[in-house]
Order: sequence, then structure tokens, then C-alpha cells
Amino acid sequence: MRISSNMVPNILASLQQSQLALNQALQEVSTGKRVSAPSDDPSASANMVQNTIDSGNLDQYTQNVSTVLSMVQTADSTLSSVVSSLTQAVSLATQGANGTASAANRQAIAQQVQGILQGVVSLANISYSGSYLFAGTASTVAPFSADPSSPSGYSYLGNSGVNSVSIGDSLSVKVNLPGNQIFSGSSVDVLGTLSSLVTALQTGTTSDIQAAGTQLSAAISYVGQQRVFYANAETQLNSQQTYLQKETVTLSSQATRLVGIDMAEAATDLAQAQTANSAALAAAAKVLPTTLLNYLSPPQ
Amino acid sequence: MGGLNTSLQIGLKALEATQGALSATSNNISNANTPGYTREVVQFSESPETLSVGGVMGGGVNLDNLQSVRDEILNLQIQQQTSGQSSADTQLAGLQQVENFFTSTGQDIASAITAFSKSLNQVSAAPASASAQQGVISSGQNLAYAFNQTADGLAGARSDADNQVTQTVAQINTLTSQIAQLNAQLSPQSGTGKDGGTVQDQRDQLVLQLSKLTGIAISQSSDGETITTANGSPLVVGARSYSLQTTNASDGTHHVLDANGNDITSSIQGGQLGGAIQLRDHTLPGFQSQLDTLASQFAAAFNAAQAMGFDSKGNPGTDFFSVPAGTQGAAAGLSVVLSDPSTIAISSDGSAGSNGNVANLTAALTQPLPSGSSVSNEYASLVYKVGTAGSNASAQSSAIGQHLLQLTNQQSSVSGVNIDEETTNLIRFQTAYEAAARIVSTIQHLNSVTINMVS
Repeated sequence: MRISSNMVPNILASLQQSQLALNQALQEVSTGKRVSAPSDDPSASANMVQNTIDSGNLDQYTQNVSTVLSMVQTADSTLSSVVSSLTQAVSLATQGANGTASAANRQAIAQQVQGILQGVVSLANISYSGSYLFAGTASTVAPFSADPSSPSGYSYLGNSGVNSVSIGDSLSVKVNLPGNQIFSGSSVDVLGTLSSLVTALQTGTTSDIQAAGTQLSAAISYVGQQRVFYANAETQLNSQQTYLQKETVTLSSQATRLVGIDMAEAATDLAQAQTANSAALAAAAKVLPTTLLNYLSPPQ
Repeated sequence: MGGLNTSLQIGLKALEATQGALSATSNNISNANTPGYTREVVQFSESPETLSVGGVMGGGVNLDNLQSVRDEILNLQIQQQTSGQSSADTQLAGLQQVENFFTSTGQDIASAITAFSKSLNQVSAAPASASAQQGVISSGQNLAYAFNQTADGLAGARSDADNQVTQTVAQINTLTSQIAQLNAQLSPQSGTGKDGGTVQDQRDQLVLQLSKLTGIAISQSSDGETITTANGSPLVVGARSYSLQTTNASDGTHHVLDANGNDITSSIQGGQLGGAIQLRDHTLPGFQSQLDTLASQFAAAFNAAQAMGFDSKGNPGTDFFSVPAGTQGAAAGLSVVLSDPSTIAISSDGSAGSNGNVANLTAALTQPLPSGSSVSNEYASLVYKVGTAGSNASAQSSAIGQHLLQLTNQQSSVSGVNIDEETTNLIRFQTAYEAAARIVSTIQHLNSVTINMVS
């Protein structure tokens, strides 16, 4: 084959190629990314869209879990305080039902029970970062307010709605029990029972006081049952937290697989590209100026 | 029987022929780096011999012709591949510009969807929080803005391609008229079998440039060489050129008309023009319509979810997004209507603390749209298409580039100048010239011997 001595196009092409490989290797090492534009790897880029959205959501689910967990824990410990207040009221009822108690004693005890009632109402009106925990979904208004026309002395302003908070792509957790179910239900009315104990102590007979005391004991076990809801929610939230942590690791390693680099491999590639590039440059420098003229003696 | 004068004549012819050869060689050396230059070789032949009593006497040497060494088939292949590569390069440049809008930068649609989805999940845990509600409004505005920006990017690339169409047509017209002028200079030689030399080199070089602008077909006719577009619209016939025109069509783009006024836009292939038209009329509109459909269907789904719930004041939810009616222009025109955070329909029962409708709002992001897949899947498929178009154009360009390099190597192996070869020729012809000069001086010497013999 006849060779044209004009090797410039060939040499330029190979120089460009090695320069391109060098640039790419350098970019991969410096950015830590194998894919910096969709055309570098269309299918990895498309998968990264879902990965980005999933990691964002996962982030938020994790935050939701910790917000909801504190909320549920607050509700649970509030109910625990309610139970101890009620237990105290039961022992006061026993004192009041004792035949030796004088009318003055009973009035004093009635006052104490009245204090417990107010305490329980304020526990029922507890709020967590601005929202009332026992108001159903009407959580912007304190659910229990004094109402003389009501038999218990308090009326419920909340509703019976229940909120579910997303803690996973297809997982949500119910986060509240409506206050009327816990404190003023039709079967067990905690506030009403306390209120009737007060009345019995003030004006009732011994057996009235005993009856109110018995109802109060039933109320304690009822509130205890309601706490199971919060305990279950806590368990679910804790296990979801563990799951979300694992999932975060999975997603971030998927992201690395999709668009990231293996540092060792990328560094090796960079070194190779560097060698190839300097070899191409050296070859060009040697080959380009050589013609027969270099070897002929100048004309005499 | 030849005399001394015959030998003198032969010596003179040899001097002339080698001078011609030396000048051809030096011309080759001087043009070694001229683009499109085709090396010339000298063709010697024997002069007619004369029959004389003593036998056949040679008549010396003739320089017949300087022949350019070219391979027309190879040239044709190079033109075709050049058209293909330039089309791929034009598309690649446009697509690289577009794919920036689909790259994860934090401002792209995927990041905006992520932030919007996050804000909805946040409001799920804190339905009455004004800051969480404000988060939904702002991230919704960012999402609309990301759609606007991406739509603008696509529209911008499309209008760049449109400009390229008009500019390329103007360049094509300049080239075809230059080619026609050169054809006029060449026409006396066409049909004689003689080579066009430098003029033909220039013409071939211009035709190569033309093939970079658009795909062409070359045929021979009685009028000389005919150059047409790939679909047969004439560009140059012999010494006449036919200019293309552009006209502003009703679809807002420039259409290409041939010299007879026929619209040939859709049949143009190859070259910058073909690449720009492919990008403007097929690739980019495909992306635009998918993006518009996505924006339109997502906005409708989210507005429908708003209508299912109630805002913080207990009023039924109203439209969150405003989107132009019809799909076209939906992505560019998407905006958020609501500005008051309390008007987001978070509640399902009308009370301010309910988050019951958040599930419906989130479902607009996660559930399949009428197109059949969810917002994120639909957007991911668009990213895939944009990426594939770019990587295909780039792969095509480099594959053709390899082929073109081989063809160019072959061409320069046939037509290119080899300095070593020319240097050797220089020495060869120098020696030949010296030898011929020696003939003349020898005859001169013999003549003087003869004259002295007589005196």
C-alpha cells in the first residue's frame, strides 16, 4: 500500500481520542460519578430518578417516625398520669365511703377529688407542638371545656376523627385516639365518674360513694386498655425506624452502583489514560518531523 | 541515419520533459498540506521513431500530460459518510444542550418532585403546622418552575435548530453557486477524458463541504455533473445552480423549498440541515409532547385530589395548579394558583387538624396517571429517552468518524503527497536533467571537433 506522508489526520485523531479518555477518567475521579449526564448511561439515569425520589421520601418518613413517636409517647405517658390520678381518686373514694368519715371529712375529700378532676381535664387537654392530642382531628382547639349544663361539667369540642401518618410508601400509622372515646365515652365516662364521685361525696350516701368508687376502678382498667393502642403504635414505629435505616443504606448503595464509581478502578483508569496520552504525544513528536530530507546530505 | 542535430534535438526534449517533471514534483511538495490537493504524476512517452536506412531511430521523450491521481468512488463514499457524521454531530450538539435540563442538578424535575413529595409527607405528620403547609406551596412552585425551565430548554433547543436550518440553507446556496462557477471552467475539458487538475480539486473540496451541510446525490448527465439533494431536487446542474429557499410555515418553523417552490423539508436527510430538521421536527417535539402530557396529567390529578378534601378553614379544596387547557404548552404554562398555605386541602373531614386528604394528594404523585405510569416513572422514561438519543447520536458520530478516518486514509494513500516519494523523484529527475544536459554539451563538443576537423 502506498502511504501518504500526511499523517496529521491520523495523529490528530489518536491524540483526540486519548485526550478524551483522559478527560473522562479525570472527571470520574474528581466528581466521584460515573454518570454525569443522561447520555452517559440512559438506563442508570432513569433509575436514578426513582432512587432520588425514594431517598427523599425515606428521609421524610424517618423524620415522620421520630415526630410521631414523640407524639405517641407523650400521649401514652399522659394516659399513665391519668391512671395514677384515678388510682388516687379510688383510694380517696374508699376513705370517703368509710363510715367513720365525718361530713366535713367528706367535703374535704370532695375538694381533693375535684382537684384530681381538674388535673385529669388538663391532662386530656394536653398539646404537643401546637396540636391537641386528644381532640380527634379537630386538634387546633382544646377539646374539653367547662360546661355547667353537661352532667360531667365538661363538654367535648373535638371530633371522633383519627389521623394516619405516612411512615412508608404504603404504610401509615394511626396516631391518635379521639378524646371522647378515652375520657367521656358512652360505656365508660372517666370525667363523668369523677364528677359523680364529687357529687356523692358532697351530698350522697355511703353506698353512692362506694358505687362511684367501683365505677372509677372500671375506668382505670378502661384507660389501661386504651393505652394498648399507643403501645402498639410505638412498637410499629420502632420497627419501622429500623426498617427505614436499612432501606436508606440500600438506596444509597444502589445510587453508588447506578452512577457512582469504584475509586480503585477509576484511579487505575486515570493512570492508564495518562500513560496512553503521553505515549500518543511522544509518538506524534517523533513521527511528525521525519522525512527522507532528514537523511539526505544538503546539495553541494 | 540521424545526425548530430537529431541527438541535440533529443537532448533538448529530454531537458524539457525533466523540467516539467521537476516542476510537477515541486508543485506536489508545495501542496503537500493543501486540503483537497490531489498529487499529480507526469506521464512520459516515447517520441515517434524514424525509420532510416540503418534501422529504427528513437525520437526521444515527450511529456504528454500531468495526471491528477484521484479515486471518484472513494470521494463519493467520503461525501456520504461526511453527511452522516455531520448530521449526527448536529443532533449531538442539540441533545447535549437539552440533556443538561434532565441532569440531576437540584433544579431539575426529579429533585423538584422529591422535594414536593417530601413536603406532602411532612404535612402528613404535622397537618396544622403553617410552616409545613408553606413548604407544600413553595415546593409546588419549585416543581412548576422546574417544568417551566425544562420546557423552555426544549423550546430553546428547537428554535436554535430552526435558526440552523435557515443559516445552513444560505450556506448551501453560496456553495452551490461557487460549484456551478467552477463547473463552467471545467466544462471545456469534460468529455475529453482530460483531468481538471486544480480546478477539479477545488470543486471536489467544495462538494465535500456541501455534503457536510446536507446529504447529496451526484450523477452525470449531458449537461455535466449534476448534484441533487438525496430526494432528487436539483442543486447544481452543470454550470447552473438552483438555490433552496426557506419560508416561515404556519407551524412556526422554517420549511425548506426547492427551486420550484416544492416543500422538501421532510425528505431532507443527512448533513447539518438533515440533523437540524430531525432534531427540530422529530426528536425534540417527541420530548416536548411527553413533558407536556406529564405536566397536564399530573396537574389534573393533583387538582382532583385537592377537590376531594377540605382546607384548614373547612372549605372544599380548590385547584392547586393552573395548567393551560389542552396538552400543548402545559409544561411551560404550569403554575401554582394557591398562595395561602391554609388553602391546601389537607383535611378529609373539614377540621383543621385532619390529615386525611394527604393520602389522596400523595397518590397523585405515586399512582398511575392516565398515561399508564406514575409521575416519577413517566419522568424517568423521558430521562431515558433523552439520554438514549444523546448516546445514540454520540455512538453514531464516533462510528462514522472511525469509518471516515479509514476512508480518508485510503484517499490520501491514493491521492495524497508522500514527501519521501517526491524527494526521491526530485533526485531522479535532477539526475535525468544533468544527464540530458550532458548530451547537449557532448554534442556541442563533437560539433566543434567536426568544425575544427574541416578548418
